[in-house]
Amino acid sequence: MKHLKSLNKKAKLINQAVSPEEVEDVVAMQTVVGCTATTDPGWELDPFGGLGSLCQPMESDIYGCADACWWPAQVPDTANTYPDWGDGVAKADKDWRKLEGIFEDGE
Amino acid sequence: MQNKKRMPLARTALALAVLAAPALAAEPDGETIIRNNCLACHSETGDAEAPFSRISEQRKTPEGWLMTINRMQELRGAQISTEDKRALVQYLADNQGLAPQESESYRYLLEQDTNLVETGVEEGLGQMCARCHSAARFSLQRRTEDEWKRLVEFHMGQFPTIELHSLARDRAWYEIASNETAVELGQKFPLITPEWNSWKAAPKADLTGRWRVLGYVPGKGEFTAWMNASKSETGYQLQLEGQYTDGTQLAGRGTARVYTGYEWRASIEIDGVKMRQVMAANDEGSAMEGRMFSTEAREIGGELMAVRDRGEAEVVAVMPSHLRLGESAELTIVGQHLDGDVSLGEGVEIEKVIERDGDSIRVLAKASGSAGARTVSVGDASRDQALAVYDSLARVEVSPANALSRIGGNGGEMAKMRTVYRAVGYAAGADGEAGTDDDLRLGYMPATWSIAPADEVAAHDKDEKYAGMIDAAGIFTPGDAGPNPERKMSANNVGRLKVVASVSDGGSEVSGEGSLLVAPQDFVRRVLD
Repeated sequence: MKHLKSLNKKAKLINQAVSPEEVEDVVAMQTVVGCTATTDPGWELDPFGGLGSLCQPMESDIYGCADACWWPAQVPDTANTYPDWGDGVAKADKDWRKLEGIFEDGE
Repeated sequence: MQNKKRMPLARTALALAVLAAPALAAEPDGETIIRNNCLACHSETGDAEAPFSRISEQRKTPEGWLMTINRMQELRGAQISTEDKRALVQYLADNQGLAPQESESYRYLLEQDTNLVETGVEEGLGQMCARCHSAARFSLQRRTEDEWKRLVEFHMGQFPTIELHSLARDRAWYEIASNETAVELGQKFPLITPEWNSWKAAPKADLTGRWRVLGYVPGKGEFTAWMNASKSETGYQLQLEGQYTDGTQLAGRGTARVYTGYEWRASIEIDGVKMRQVMAANDEGSAMEGRMFSTEAREIGGELMAVRDRGEAEVVAVMPSHLRLGESAELTIVGQHLDGDVSLGEGVEIEKVIERDGDSIRVLAKASGSAGARTVSVGDASRDQALAVYDSLARVEVSPANALSRIGGNGGEMAKMRTVYRAVGYAAGADGEAGTDDDLRLGYMPATWSIAPADEVAAHDKDEKYAGMIDAAGIFTPGDAGPNPERKMSANNVGRLKVVASVSDGGSEVSGEGSLLVAPQDFVRRVLD
């Protein structure tokens, strides 16, 4: 990285994340219970412990998460477990209020 | 397949709190329920020690068994009545549960107290398992090695892209999971353990009786109460009466079940608000500890402890638990059958007894001498380290130090997931240096709360403006769900914040900060994360 200059925000983040303390902070926040450490790009946090590389707003690519079963603990996977999730909500960025919650904690 | 967007009894009936409802008649036998409801897929082995395929090769918490049965209904089409399900969770948790020593390191998950960073997770298990869910989730299970292998197969079948995710596609995930992770889990968390064998054989305490209770309700404060537990068909009927520190009364009624001989699960309505209690009783059944939280919003809760009335004098706590040298302050000794001379320890003068009875003694006290923890006694009863006498407040710890809130509401299905904050004070201790091992814990202290962006990027994105706000009681409420057209690219109201607690002490302000992540919704609400 010595001879390369980071040009955009994401590249700067990569540079920043190299410092050891920062890596520790990133790892810490990713392991708060309920937070996924699958950070490609990440649901709660990106690989650099920030939000800059997340897909935002999440509604713009929600089915990229659901159909691919990427974060099944946070986003219902339509691959197998909840195939009908999102039916009738083709444009989630407009109709996000219709996205249903899955309440597996019922009796 | 029963795949539905919503569990049949979602929202109206929540987890084990509802399982605690008393049945009208004696419950059916667990093995009979398994024979009647589970043998379409499972088989009888003919082995009396492990009579049912798969089912007999696992041990879990009551919540773990509830999740399993829920999954069998949701994914495998199992049909079971609510009554049978309650009885089956009871039977399985009692006969194939976890010993107290096996669950004690992971109680936070059962208590739904999840704003913490899990520590001591072996790196491999962290990457292979705790990447998606908590480490406590699998650490609260015991299985044979074959059963852990079948769990890997389930994950591969149910979540087929699991080996393509980050921390998976860089390795031979399936081979590692089957041949290394499952084997390690089988050794670390085996089905048969000396702890379980001994707990299963041990006599279990009857928890009937009067309990002296101390707790915390966010927005209301600390309370002391008496809780009466009387036997019912399936557990206990509860009545609770007490008061918050500001003198406001509280009262509630509910029911409890005890699983595995020590896992206390209660559903109690306190002043119109449905709450759940998750506690573990000690071996003698003389004390219980855990958490009480809102049924609807599990994150809204606080510590809970109960000490049984055994007809003996007992000092349970001093509230508040700290007294500054040279200052006069009101303190309340909380206990039961309190009778006799009162002492707050060396150098602490009781200037006045304001009021006293057998349950509590309110005094005006002034401390002199050296800083340090004091033993508090009333007659023959005493409690060590019940009061911290200190010179000055050296540091403030924000609890939780690392937390997760989630946006919600705004017409969407998922409610906002808030975060409850409290400030813990410390004096520097003998070495005069804050942040070292000898710091003296003073206990919870009243604080003024504020939020700030976590860093330059968060400040640039105005996270402190959009991600939420914190109130005077230390409750953080995140922002609304949905794309926000005011933000760049219509980003959600997510953000990274510092939560700052500022505590006044002797004319100066001492502050501490915690780290808060405000994230998108979690669309899948599970019994255990």
